[in-house]
Amino acid sequence: MDPVFLAQDCINGVLMGLIYGLVALGLTLIFGVLKVINFAHGSFLMVGMYVAYWAVTLSGLSPYPALVIIVPAMFLFGYWVQHLLIRPIFIAEKNVREPITVIIVTTGLWYVLDNLALLVFGPDYRALNPNPLKGQMLEMGEIIVSVPKLYGALATLATAGGLHLFLQHTRLGRAVRATSLDREAASLMGIGQWKIFNIAFGIGTAVAGISGAVLTPFYNVYPTVGIPFDIKSFVIVVLGGLGSIWGALVGGVIIGLIESIGPNFMTSTWTEGIVYALFLLVLFVKPSGLFGQKQDW
Amino acid sequence: MTQQEFKRNCLIAVTLAAFALPLVVRSATYLHILIILYLYAYMTTTWNLVGGFAGVLPLGHSVFVGIGAYTSTILWLQYGISPWIGMLVGAVLAAGVGYLIGKPTLKMRGAYFALSTMAFVEGIRVMVENIDMLGPLKLNGPRGLNIPPLQMGEGSFWAFQFSSKEPYYYIILTMLVAVLAMTSAISRSKMGYYLKSGGEDPDAAQALGVNVARYKVAAMVISSFLTALAGTFLAQLTLFIYPKSVLTLDLSFELAFIALIGGRGSIAGPIIGALLLRPVTEFSRIYFSATLPGLHLIILGVVLIVVMLYQPRGLTEPLLRIFDKVAARFAPALPDTPDTPDTPDTPDSPDSPNSPDSPNLPDTPDAPAGPDTQGTPAAPGATASASPREERP
Repeated sequence: MDPVFLAQDCINGVLMGLIYGLVALGLTLIFGVLKVINFAHGSFLMVGMYVAYWAVTLSGLSPYPALVIIVPAMFLFGYWVQHLLIRPIFIAEKNVREPITVIIVTTGLWYVLDNLALLVFGPDYRALNPNPLKGQMLEMGEIIVSVPKLYGALATLATAGGLHLFLQHTRLGRAVRATSLDREAASLMGIGQWKIFNIAFGIGTAVAGISGAVLTPFYNVYPTVGIPFDIKSFVIVVLGGLGSIWGALVGGVIIGLIESIGPNFMTSTWTEGIVYALFLLVLFVKPSGLFGQKQDW
Repeated sequence: MTQQEFKRNCLIAVTLAAFALPLVVRSATYLHILIILYLYAYMTTTWNLVGGFAGVLPLGHSVFVGIGAYTSTILWLQYGISPWIGMLVGAVLAAGVGYLIGKPTLKMRGAYFALSTMAFVEGIRVMVENIDMLGPLKLNGPRGLNIPPLQMGEGSFWAFQFSSKEPYYYIILTMLVAVLAMTSAISRSKMGYYLKSGGEDPDAAQALGVNVARYKVAAMVISSFLTALAGTFLAQLTLFIYPKSVLTLDLSFELAFIALIGGRGSIAGPIIGALLLRPVTEFSRIYFSATLPGLHLIILGVVLIVVMLYQPRGLTEPLLRIFDKVAARFAPALPDTPDTPDTPDTPDSPDSPNSPDSPNLPDTPDAPAGPDTQGTPAAPGATASASPREERP
């Protein structure tokens, strides 16, 4: 195989993989603190993409400056979803650490959000317009890099770095980590468990909003856009280890590479099968994933 | 007449009414809707064996539907083997797959089982969509398999094809009644108690010496076997299967939703869930699919969220309470006529044509064992432990 093509595929794979990682980042953050999987995460991404789409269309900003609108909007959305829908489950099932009901309720939310979007915006595929990043390419010798994807990958690294700093070096971040380690002990130390849950859920949703902004310049928006990302995110977080930020990025890159290099060796539709096979393999062999903690599964 | 007898009589009446229904309902459309309703009730009941009793959340049961449908169809199309035999072959195959999935995953906690069943169903769908020929077997990839209908207007039992809807109706109703009898027997057997104990508190159950994982795997195997039978039925009813129709997450999720809204772990739950939700789906598809697409899924999602938040054990519980009250009122008032008054059915069966589906109300915890619709005796040793408060001779 031509090394230039291989390098090209690798770069594409890494860039796209990092963006997958960004989507999974929100999921893994929520899991890390609440110990539950938010099945509606793909729908949150869809909401984020629509918010980004409308923010850009109505304000005429380019997607990245529009983050000023998107991030707070999505944070509040997640904050209230957790407060109104998920907190009652934790209260009702006090003695269960990872109530399965949350999966069910968030799946219900997934159905509601996706179909509401279908009802309100219709089934059309919408592309960003005006789109300042449309089709921009960076040529480096023989290798071509898509600019929106490059920006997306950089945004991923920035978000992950920012989250890392927030969790390690701020007072609130320490409170979030304490709650994730042991919520009873954290409560005894005067940390409000519900507030931390709300904030963590809000941040996870805001990250989905960032992914939405990152994706819109090169990905169409439609009501079920979240589903492929949803399932991919599940695979990524399990691969990287549920609850681990860097694990999500590494998992994302692995999936991205499989998807970009795989089609050289097989029909491209098969790569999806490889991804699921890998997922099941990790589940059976090392369920804690690459960077996860043993007690989390 | 005791309340227990009263309830049993109601049950028998409802079952008989279900069997007599095609005499009244002549429209093929309505019969078809009823058939689909029973089919969903059947699949949800088999789902409930794992999802309800064992306390885990399987989100990939369509894989067994798919295995059942594909196996019998391939055997019929390529080898001329009757779908009735193919049904059993598919079920055995599905049971094997169920074992393979369940063995490693059922030991895991919470979300991992749900995730791996989802991944499994998606993986199998991708495989089937990408394979035209699996060795000598023709899967035909994403185009699916078409069962050529027999000559116009001709039906054949051997080919599992009938010219009218009635035979399908009776087949699925018989399957449903049988599987309900079976579930209620299992729920009152040692295995049922082990499963429930493992579902409620795995650590405590294990400390008492219950091999929780083993019973969960056994439930999974039984459930996948029975689910695959429904797959063959579905294939023979529609005569056309393709990966996106039988191997989808949508179907898996819908089964889970019906069971959860009805009441997971209760025997009447799937029936009540199907009774409440299928009509919503059918009618919103017929009347609103053009103007308000996806409306029924919004309703489904909202109902699911509301039920989970306010009535986490499903809608069966409050309905059964009403039924108990009605039974308490009617039982003393009817001293010795074993004849069946139909009024008391109303609380549990909102729309009367579908009332046949309440047969198993008495099997929920507060009704003693015994009166299965088929008159089969309860599982050995279960009666003593399962008869609670209202045991009045």
